[in-house]
Amino acid sequence: MSKKYRQWVKEYQDQAWTVARYILKDAQEAEDATQEAFVKLWKNQDNIDPKRVKPWLMKVTRNGCLDRLRRRRDNVELDESHMAGDVAGPMQGATATEIGIWLKRAIGGLKEPYRSLVVLRDINQHSYEEVAVMLELNLAQVKTYLHRARKQLREQLAEVRP
Amino acid sequence: MNEYDDKWEERINALLDGELEADDAELLKAEATDDRELARAIVDAYQLQQAMDALRVERAPASLTKKLQAIPRQHRSKPGFSLFNFAQPRWAAALAAIPLVVIAVSLMRPDTPSAAEIAQARQEMAIAFAYLDKAGVITGREIESTVGRTMANAVTDSVNRTIQSQSLNFKENEA
Repeated sequence: MSKKYRQWVKEYQDQAWTVARYILKDAQEAEDATQEAFVKLWKNQDNIDPKRVKPWLMKVTRNGCLDRLRRRRDNVELDESHMAGDVAGPMQGATATEIGIWLKRAIGGLKEPYRSLVVLRDINQHSYEEVAVMLELNLAQVKTYLHRARKQLREQLAEVRP
Repeated sequence: MNEYDDKWEERINALLDGELEADDAELLKAEATDDRELARAIVDAYQLQQAMDALRVERAPASLTKKLQAIPRQHRSKPGFSLFNFAQPRWAAALAAIPLVVIAVSLMRPDTPSAAEIAQARQEMAIAFAYLDKAGVITGREIESTVGRTMANAVTDSVNRTIQSQSLNFKENEA
């Protein structure tokens, strides 16, 4: 195994996995999607600028996940409609853990690209510039969409909180 | 706050990202004291950020890590990792030379070769075998660096046996 590939696995596997997990909401499928992305990384490693490996990998992981979603679109839409129902509800006295679970579901219920934006920026903590590259958006779009996504989450949170 | 949504959203997010200038932050604070909706939006935004901060990057399961580490072994087609990488010029030259030697040997089996032909053939074969010996050593080093001594010995032994066999045939014919 090449040293640089091993380093990439160590550095980026959690971030790629997190992206896949939030988008696909299925552990097995997220594992498969992450694996596919790393296979592509391995095969294309000589063609990728080493400084851009992380955004490249996140973009490929996300695109692979979205392809999978498209293949099971009907089921996903059903899941998302159920998700909205799960998110709503009284959260009075909710613990941080319960809020965390609720928030994960709420993020999972966002439409694209809002969901990816929140995961990449607010959870994975990538910079706005990196997120722009990953999602092939300009900086202004990233900020505007992220504001909308956060507003949606905020409004949902306000609804469920006392 | 509705008519100012975009403006406030931008400022609230800038505030959360720590990118709002001090003057603008003060202005926002002043506005919020007179606008309950804006004040509520800022409080909600902070609460959301706190909840978001508690969400961490998820650790990849061990099963995934194993699969990712196995990728180089399962996808050996990457240049530099193929055992028999025919794109390598020394490999290609050495292997291409073997059938040429065989053809040369078979062609040099006339019933009555002249002394000059035999001398010429001997000289050409000596050059060919010296080249193949050298190529075998280089190839052996390349294989050894990639897959280890055992495999290298197996391959170079095989090449050497072929060379020696050809050499023996040549000497028998010569005799």
